[in-house]
Amino acid sequence: MLKVNKMWIPVFLLPGVVLFLVIYAVPLGMVFGTSLFDYRLNAQEMTFVGFQNYVRLVKDPDFFKALSNTVIWILIQCIGHVALGTVMALILYKKPKGWKFVRTAYMVPNIISNAAIAMIFLNIFNPQFGVINSFLKAIGLESLTRNWLMDGRTAFASVTMIWVLFAGYTTTLVLAQALSIDESVLEAAKVDGATSFQMDIYVVLPLLKKIIGTTMVMAATYMLQMFDLIYITTNGGPGKTTTNLPLLLYGVYKGENNYGYANTIGVFIVIIGVVVMTVINKVLRVNEEDY
Amino acid sequence: MKAKERILCVLKYFFLTVCVCIAIFPIVWVILSSFKTNAEILANGVSLPANFSLTGYRDALTISPILKYFGNSVVITACSTFCNVLFLAMAGYVFARCSFRGKNILYFILSLAMVIPMTALLHPVYSVIQKLGLYDTKTGLILVYTALNLPMSLLILRGSFLSIPKSLEEAAYMDGAGFVRTFFQIMIPCAKGGLTSAAVLAFLNSWNEFTFALVLTSGQSARTLPLSLSYFTAQFSFNYTALFAAVTIAVVPSIVVFAVFQEQVVSSLTSGSVKG
Repeated sequence: MLKVNKMWIPVFLLPGVVLFLVIYAVPLGMVFGTSLFDYRLNAQEMTFVGFQNYVRLVKDPDFFKALSNTVIWILIQCIGHVALGTVMALILYKKPKGWKFVRTAYMVPNIISNAAIAMIFLNIFNPQFGVINSFLKAIGLESLTRNWLMDGRTAFASVTMIWVLFAGYTTTLVLAQALSIDESVLEAAKVDGATSFQMDIYVVLPLLKKIIGTTMVMAATYMLQMFDLIYITTNGGPGKTTTNLPLLLYGVYKGENNYGYANTIGVFIVIIGVVVMTVINKVLRVNEEDY
Repeated sequence: MKAKERILCVLKYFFLTVCVCIAIFPIVWVILSSFKTNAEILANGVSLPANFSLTGYRDALTISPILKYFGNSVVITACSTFCNVLFLAMAGYVFARCSFRGKNILYFILSLAMVIPMTALLHPVYSVIQKLGLYDTKTGLILVYTALNLPMSLLILRGSFLSIPKSLEEAAYMDGAGFVRTFFQIMIPCAKGGLTSAAVLAFLNSWNEFTFALVLTSGQSARTLPLSLSYFTAQFSFNYTALFAAVTIAVVPSIVVFAVFQEQVVSSLTSGSVKG
């Protein structure tokens, strides 16, 4: 370590630490604290109610609907989405013709704004001129056309399609790791007579376990926080079929103006985040060092 | 065996083609549709534009103050990206080079920001911003966006300072340069790669952010472009060309920045997450 004027250390750390305190630490404390209060827009002052909000939570059918949707979406994303991205990376790491173009093109939906994606899909699923219904009409399946996002039978699946296929981030991360695998490992497997398929399964995939775990954590946290795409397309409807925990929280916060209860849902989201991360890390043993 | 390999190869390219088409179809569709007339869109959703009409763009600019929102987005994104990279370069440098008591604990606590689901904190963040008197202001959004990119930038920038050889600074100190001067004149230029990566990611996140823009603004004075899109359905009352033109205006900057700095984004995503 260099000998430097120690006076500058706190000065250099200050802005970052203040940002952390103001936007992360204080709000996190407030979420936990206010979940124990009856705290609404019109209340003159907050009254301490202990765990009353939590009692309401475990009796609230909307909460269980939102919870199960959130969990299903996390599972779909961690399995389907990550598998898709990984398969893509396993094809691209052998550098077939045009692999760089494919990598770039596949990233495009991931780097544009979710609000734009949502508006685009709102129109792709549009019952009158949307792409899906136009296509079905063109091939003579008029009977299958419907209002995809507003029909209770198809809303959940339709909303899921807005994100599950766009695995650009996963592909990019897994691909980067696959490209950094030592050539000699692959050569050795080839000498032993492994076919390219066997090599992918038995040699390459195990070496990618850690990064796949990381992408699963990213996929899970992304779904746990998913708000904008659902808010703009279905707003959680019809009924509660596409409501997840953040949408439920927003509804209680803005619709009901019940801040204590909204923050109780917030506490629950934070806890799920910790649980999901721990489970994935345990199963795949990622992140054992660092920090 | 040979035939099997050939089939696999065909399947491989078929799979890649399908994935790429699915990924870029929505964007291509909306950009093409923005040049169609409204009647064309309503008649057939998937036809190509008969002749490239710019009425959609003209309408989008006249119906809503989209240029104002675009300007808001530019100001908010530029300020928050700059502050984020500057503040976290300072912190990242100290974490990479200096030793002080509690360093590891402080770094661990700051990187916890990575795992806090921010949508759980919608109301408290709103309360904090309101208490600070920054509700419905650009400054409020700049503050929040600067913080949202804190964990990723810290990770990337600390890493890039760690990879710079120490001899450079030692030489600077020998020559009598102070701490601040060494940081700005020697270290910042050396860490250009990491700074660009962090800046590109911060830019994309801020430019695209929707949820906090929704919660922390009410009027038009600080409304950002992504947020304004969600109001357009009502505002544009079935003028789909204008809507698609507005969406195109919102996505083009992201695509341009990504195209220019693509290698940086890829390497920063990698350095941020592949670590170790």
